[in-house]
Amino acid sequence: MRPARALLALALLAAALPASGHEVMHEVRRGRAVAVRAWFPGGESLAYVQAEVFSPADEKVPHWKGRTDRNGWLAFVPDVGGKWRVRIVDATGHGLDTTVDVAAPDLPGSGSSDPPAGATSLALRPVAGVAVIAAVFAFLYLRGRRRAP
Amino acid sequence: MHVPDGFLSPVITRPAWGAAAPLWYWAARRNFGASATESLPILGSLTALAFVVQRLMIPVPGGTSAHLTGVAILAILYNPGVAFVCESLVLLLQALFFGAGGFTVLAVNALAMGLLGPGAAWLAYRALRGLSEPGAAFAGAYVGMQVATLAVALVLGLQHRLDPAYMPVPFEVTVAATMLPSLTVLGVVEGLFTVATMALLRRARLLHAR
Repeated sequence: MRPARALLALALLAAALPASGHEVMHEVRRGRAVAVRAWFPGGESLAYVQAEVFSPADEKVPHWKGRTDRNGWLAFVPDVGGKWRVRIVDATGHGLDTTVDVAAPDLPGSGSSDPPAGATSLALRPVAGVAVIAAVFAFLYLRGRRRAP
Repeated sequence: MHVPDGFLSPVITRPAWGAAAPLWYWAARRNFGASATESLPILGSLTALAFVVQRLMIPVPGGTSAHLTGVAILAILYNPGVAFVCESLVLLLQALFFGAGGFTVLAVNALAMGLLGPGAAWLAYRALRGLSEPGAAFAGAYVGMQVATLAVALVLGLQHRLDPAYMPVPFEVTVAATMLPSLTVLGVVEGLFTVATMALLRRARLLHAR
């Protein structure tokens, strides 16, 4: 029985050692990444579109580079707090170049999210634009009438 | 079709501002003076309409969306200078309120979508209106859409050659991704929109003989 006990002890010892060789390590941590989604006002996602993320610590070399998923999402794991630049570049020239405020990792507030604009807000935007155009032309019209002989 | 902020470097945006600024001044003085007062309500309505149609995204094959410009009609009914000023106002509002386009690229977008496109529409309309007015309006709007789209694609392609960090997508991809929807869908819809709007204005007796 001695050889069997020795083999069992060796197996337990090997299992406790860190893996190495060709094994690929990975880590899953939830609530640690920042996810950004891009979509058109009509609701259509910017799917499979080129995207880059730049850290506030290095504005030249992308911290993350890739494509959005089929729903227009990208996600990255920040390693410093600050303003992270997110660029999403569609081949048609549409896209997004914005900054995302990130709290220092593992500090309170790092699990916050910026909710998308509500349906009411989105619906009111065109109305606001039309109202401004109407105001501009009404001003020009009234000014012209006042100056007319 | 709008080029967003951050996609073009100052090497392109500064000369564009330099070219657009005097044109805005000249076009506004020439077309929005006291003599234009009576046409301002229709101009305002068509500008508001252009603003709205540019917010409506049309899904096109390839997994993207595109939109009309709605300003060819301003060039056809008045002149390209009017279209340039009105489209610039639309682009400015979109940049300020919605983050569509942007302030640094405003001049580029205005020159492409507000001047080159409508200018081509105006020329095509004038060349063909002797044959058929609706046909000429349709052709003008169609051609204007192609010219505006190609201008945007050329600028993006130039930016890619100058510095890919601003525009990583090469010109061959950009021109295919922009021109195919424009040639097959957008030009046709822009043409139909222009003809329908002209017919509506004529029926309402708001379209004066020119």
